[in-house]
Order: sequence, then C-alpha cells, then structure tokens
Amino acid sequence: MLTSRNAEAAGRMATTWQHQREARDARLEAGTRLARGKIVEARDATRLMEAVIRPGDRVCLEGDNQKQADLLSRALLAVDLAKVKDLHMVQSGVVLPEHLDLFDRGVAKKLDYAYSGPQSSRIAQMLFGGKIELGAIHTYLELFARYFIDLTPQVALIAAVSADREGNLYTGPNTEDTPTVVEATAFKDGIVIAQVNEVVDKVPRVDIPADRVHFIVEADKPFFVEPLFTRDPAAITEGQILTAMLAIKGIYAPYSVRRLNHGIGFSTAAIELLLPTYAEKLGLKGKIASHFALNPHPALIPAIESGWVQQIHSFGSEVGMDDYIRARSDIYFTGPDGSLRSNRAFCQTAGLYACDMFIGSTLQIDLQGNSSTVTASRIAGFGGAPNMGADARGRRHPSEPWLQAGREADPDGSALLRRGRKLVVQIGETFGEKNVPLFVEKLDALALAEKLKLELAPVMIYGDDVTHIVTEEGVANLLMCRDANEREQAIRGVAGYTDVGRNRDRKMVQQLRERGVIRRPEDLGIDPLDADRSMLAARSIKDLVRWSGGLYAPPSQFRNW
Amino acid sequence: MSIAELEKPSVEQARATSFYEASARARVRLLLDPGSFVEFIGPEKREVSPHLKLFDLPEQFDDGIIVGHGRLAGSPVFIAAQEGRFMGGAFGEVHGAKLVGLLRAAKELKSIPVLILFDTGGVRLQEANAGELAIAEIMRAVIEARTAGVKVIGLIGGRSGCYGGGGLIAGCCSALAVSEQGRIAVSGPEVIETNRGVEEFDSRDRALVWRTMGGKHRRLIGGADLFADDTVQAFREAALELLETTAGFGIDTLNAEQSRLEDRLQRFGACRDAVDIWVAEGVPDAGSVPALPADQFIELADKVRRIARDAR
Repeated sequence: MLTSRNAEAAGRMATTWQHQREARDARLEAGTRLARGKIVEARDATRLMEAVIRPGDRVCLEGDNQKQADLLSRALLAVDLAKVKDLHMVQSGVVLPEHLDLFDRGVAKKLDYAYSGPQSSRIAQMLFGGKIELGAIHTYLELFARYFIDLTPQVALIAAVSADREGNLYTGPNTEDTPTVVEATAFKDGIVIAQVNEVVDKVPRVDIPADRVHFIVEADKPFFVEPLFTRDPAAITEGQILTAMLAIKGIYAPYSVRRLNHGIGFSTAAIELLLPTYAEKLGLKGKIASHFALNPHPALIPAIESGWVQQIHSFGSEVGMDDYIRARSDIYFTGPDGSLRSNRAFCQTAGLYACDMFIGSTLQIDLQGNSSTVTASRIAGFGGAPNMGADARGRRHPSEPWLQAGREADPDGSALLRRGRKLVVQIGETFGEKNVPLFVEKLDALALAEKLKLELAPVMIYGDDVTHIVTEEGVANLLMCRDANEREQAIRGVAGYTDVGRNRDRKMVQQLRERGVIRRPEDLGIDPLDADRSMLAARSIKDLVRWSGGLYAPPSQFRNW
Repeated sequence: MSIAELEKPSVEQARATSFYEASARARVRLLLDPGSFVEFIGPEKREVSPHLKLFDLPEQFDDGIIVGHGRLAGSPVFIAAQEGRFMGGAFGEVHGAKLVGLLRAAKELKSIPVLILFDTGGVRLQEANAGELAIAEIMRAVIEARTAGVKVIGLIGGRSGCYGGGGLIAGCCSALAVSEQGRIAVSGPEVIETNRGVEEFDSRDRALVWRTMGGKHRRLIGGADLFADDTVQAFREAALELLETTAGFGIDTLNAEQSRLEDRLQRFGACRDAVDIWVAEGVPDAGSVPALPADQFIELADKVRRIARDAR
C-alpha cells in the first residue's frame, strides 16, 4: 500500500516538474503548423502570435533604445483579443507608438520597462489615465536582472539583421539587448521569435545560436534603428563649450580620469570635440579619456583620429558608423565578420564596475543633488544613466581617480578600509532649453510620484551618488561638503541666476570657494570669453566626415549638404 | 587680442573665419577693408523693437541688423548684415526700416553699391504686419535703387539661410552669391511639410532640404550667380567679382529674367528631385554633387551653367 502510494506520488511529480517544457512544446507545435522549418511568412506573423502566446503571458517585445522589432510589434498589435490579451510586457524600451497601442487595445495590461524617450509624453498620459498597470521603471541592468529572477519572459519577439535556415542569427552591429533577452527566454522554456531583414545561406557571424531561436519571420524592410547618439557639432553653443572646458580642466585633469562613460548631450559632445584641441594644449593627451564604455559617438571621431582613445566597448551601435568602426578595430569590439559587436548588459556592467567617471546632463537637479529627467508631463524612464551614474558598492579594484575621490569624501578615514568613489558628474547650463532652469527646489518627479501613487519617485541619479556639478558658473565638488547645508550651498553656488542660485548664502558660498569646494572659471584659469566655437575640432557633421576620411556616413537627417 | 588687432583684421583672418559661424559684426568687419566700417544707428542708439517687450521677449540694441558704409578694395559700399542668431534674423519694424533707409540713401547717391548679408527666417511673427510691410518697402527700395543705377548684391551663407520675405528680397537683387550652407527659398521646409504633408516634403530629411534649397542647387539652376566657399574672404572675393561683372538694370533685364524663368520651368517643371534636374543639366555623376568640395564644385558649376549676365 505504502509502496504504491509512493510510486504514485513520484509519478505525479515526474509530470509536474516538466510543466513548463510541456507548455512550450505545445506552443511550438501550434506555431510549427504555420512554418516551413522555422520560417514563417510575414503575412502569417499575427497568426503565429495567436498560436504561441497565451493570455496573461509575460512577453518581451524587443524595443531597445535604438533597434526595434517593428514588424513583430505591428503583428502583435493585430491579434484577436479572444486569443491573446492582458499581456505583461517586460521590455527595456517603450519607443514605438505600437508599444503603447498594445495597451490602448487591451492586448497588453501590465508594463515593466526602463526607457521611453520618444513616447515619454504619451506614456505619462496613459499612466495617469490608468490604461497601463505599471510594475516599475527600471534601469537596464535591473530589468535584465529581473529577466532571470521574477520577470522571465514566456515569449520573446526580437530583431536581427539576418538568419540562416537553421535559425542562427546575425544581429549586426546593434546587438544591444538581444543576447540577454534570448538567454532568459530560451533557457527557461520560452519561445523566441525573430524578425530578420533577410534569410541567407550563411550568416556573417553567429550572434545567437539556432537552438535558442524557434521561429524566423522575414521582414519586408529592415528593422528601425534610431540614430540616438549623433550630436551635430553645429548646434553646440558657447555656453556648452565653457562647461566642457570647466569639466576638462576642473575634473578630468586633476583626477586623471582615463576610464569613463559619457552621457548623450551637447555638453559631453563638446568635451569630445575639445579633446584634440583644448585638452591637447593643456598637455592631457594620454593622461585622460582613453578607455570608454560608450556608444560609437560620431563626435568622438576627431579624438580617436588624433590618437586619444585606446578602447571603446559599446551598448549598441550608431547609424552611419559601421564602416568607420570596421576600419578602426583597434578601438572597437568587432566580430570575425569585421562589424561591431555591441552588448548592452555587458557594457552597462563595464560602465558600472570598470569606469571611474560618468558625466552627463539632466533636466532637473534639486538642493540635495538628486536629478531627474521626469517633468510634469513626461516620463522618459531611465535607460543607462543610473547604472553609469552610481557608485558600485561591489567594486574592489583600486584606481587613482577612485581612490582620490574616496580620500576627498573621507579624508580622516583609514586608507586601507576606505571605499573609493566613482566620479558622478552632472553637467549643464543653469538655464536649459527654452530657458527652463536646471535647478529646482523640488523635482517634478516627486509631484508625479504623488499623483500616480508610486512608492518611489523616478529619480535618475540620487544626490548621494553625485560628486560634481558643472555649470557655466563653475564646478561644485560635493565630495568635499561635510554636511547637508554645505552641499545645498555648493549647489546654489553654481546655480547662476535661477531662483535656487539667487537664494544662496553669499558668505557661505564665498567660504566654499576659498576651500576649493566651488571653483569659478577664473579659479581654474579659464577666461569665459575664450569659449569659442573655433575651439571645436569639428564644427559640423561634414567636418566629422572629413575627420573620418569619408568612412562615417551620416544619415540623411544630419546632413546639410 | 589688442584693440589694434581688432580694428585691423588681416586677410588671413578672413580666410580662416567661417562665414557660417561668424556673427554679423564679424562678417562685416572681415569682409570690408580693415577699419573702414562706419555704422548707422548703431547699438549705442538703442533703437529697439517697439513690439517685443509686449511679448516679454528680449530685445537687441541693433534689432538684429547692422547697417552702415565702408570700403571694399578701396571703393565705397553700403552694407547691411542680419544677425541670424537674434530671432532667426527675422524682419521686424525697426530691423526693416534700417535696411529701407540704407537702400534709399543708395538710391539718392546713385553710384555706391549695396551689399546685403542675408541671414533670416523671414518675417518676425511677433510683429507680423510691420514686418510684412517692411518686406514690401525693402523690395520697392531695392528695385528703385537698381533703377537709379545702384548694384544690390546679396550674400547668403548664414545659419538661418534666406527664407520667407528674405527670399523675395533676394530675388530682387542684382546678383547673389551663396555658399553650400546657405539656403534660399520662400516657404521653409517645416512650412511645406505642415501644409502639404510629409510625403511632399520631409523637413527632417536634411539632405533633401539642402539639395532642394541649399547653395549648390541654387547655383546649378541659376538662382544664385556665384558659389563661394564658406569663408568670409571667399564672400569678399565673390562680392568684388559680382560688382565688377553685374550689368545694368532696365526693362530688357526684366524680360530676359522672365524668359530665363519660363525656360527653367519648362525644362525642369516635371522633375521630382533636385538630382533629376542636375542629370537633365548634364551634370556627370549627379548623385555625388552634395559631397563635392567647394573648389571642385565651382569648377563643375562653371562648366555646366554660364551665368546669365543679361537677366535678373
């Protein structure tokens, strides 16, 4: 009796332990009816979705910050709601209009994401209107991490350049999130569907092995890629050049920062274009800015060509940079086929653990140094900045900039036990676009969190991670502030004529300046009148093309010829 | 830089200075003979716009245009330069009146030519009626000056191009020189897209914008008479050449201009894209025109299109 009961229990367990695999096999079988081998016609893509996706599934629709599985997103949007609905979307980028149309139609219900740049205004409206049930807004690494713990997709809809008939995928230079998404889905009994620009006999290189890919859909046109990291040098202002000069002389030089990440923005583009001119004159070549976690910024071409840069690992690629990257494999990571291999998860990790500095712009900074790109009507999400712009508590290897920053923060601590600090620099003009002040008493993100009843305000970079703020009025070193009041006055002291700046305690700001916590342009030997566009190594996109020896092919929207 | 250097710019400086990048004042200073410029109604007079403060908008003491006289290779010229970085170089009431006054003075004197350094998006929306009136007055003043024997030369290579009413005024000038960056048109790219749809004209496609409105295309279809490299010195040399070669003005000129335009419409009216026009004009490897360096383009343009000296 006892024995047979045990056997019965064992038998029951044997079937239940493979529940997910059986479910996957059932989905695969339903999908295979629409396929020849792994290949499904584009016109059958919606039927494929209906065959393999179940109501309430967690689905990763590959929307990265650059490349988009646009055909698959349209196909998913068209499903029969009787078959597919209430999906839980887990994707890093909410970028295409279709990504939100899914929620309008009821195909999807819940969202966990990281970045929503171009949809920032509509996503805010939909969150206010209750159209989207929000899980959380993540940083990239955070969302990727949750793919392996509690947000593992049942279905991943991804994009690649080409596939062979077995299903091996070539992602091209924009590999981005794909390996991470596929890893989490395929090895946990999920289904992977790839849209490809073409099916070929042999792929140039295997970015994703065939046994992780279940279905291939050949798209009628190449997947969409946004040139997100191109900044036209013609649009760089003298104010931005001044802040760039202050950053180079006031931070890069004294800390000898060699390993770093640059945010997107015109101030950092200005820094890149001042390396071969201004920084070269200061004798900094070889001493700063040699190793980057960075997308292939066209603005960095003059510095690369002038021998400044040794190595760059990239999150994604950049439209028009392919031939240049191929020809500069000493600098970039490339595959056996010669083209760039990017990887967002690895590059984010590199930026977090192996870089000594992050420098980037933001929209609002408060009196504690918290910053956010959320405004009352826009939720742009986070993307990469919070990981780049955070002190890595798990870091253990020393480097001079990291140790020096640690010393400044805790001069009396024991050298052998003192943590170093990553340099986290916020750079911007005191009045940004449309004369909106950069400095505020209270972040809009707080008002938004109250309105949406969020448990956490969407803060891009927390004040306790920020080490320096650079504006045209000077550099504030927050590491050297000893209490909250000093910190506040150091921030007010570089906030210019904004309300925050005008309400400074003049005496205290003066004292901070004497201690070197605040350094004005004249304290650094910089004459603001020297901040002239003629200092830029390139003043137009065409100059960048010339620097690249004709290898950089800017997309049409950036050409003025 | 010492005051003496400021007052005596060298040819080298003019060669090294991008016209596109330079301010209106730097353009005037480097284009004319060193130290010869004398300004009328300068910023010290504070003749600001009477309208902008109603909109709580910042004013500029010269209202975004510099007018005055100076010398070019020793000969006297009148000169006007718009500042494209102040309100997109747009025409307002005071801005327009300064140019009208300059042109009327030239008409009175009959012998001193006028250089207009356009850099404008058109009429300033905040003073629309006054601005539109100014455009009409300027066009009349240009034609009256030309009728009196004055050459009016337009130089176009600034950030804001030469749009709206500026495009109309440019069309009235005796001759135009343009650089690659310079754009000449009436309706701007965004206006066309808004009214006719993105299929008609995608304003974000900058390569399309430039090959439709940019300097190279204007030179190739005869909309501009000379192509200049993007330096102040190149524009100075272009101005000198145009002053020397431009013919007089009368009913014959207008008739010739009319038939030139009719002919152009007939030959190219069906073309969908600027490249089609270049192909029809016999430009070899037309697709490569946008990427050609200035010197090679000038050589090509001189071969393809002789300047119609009798028209305009």
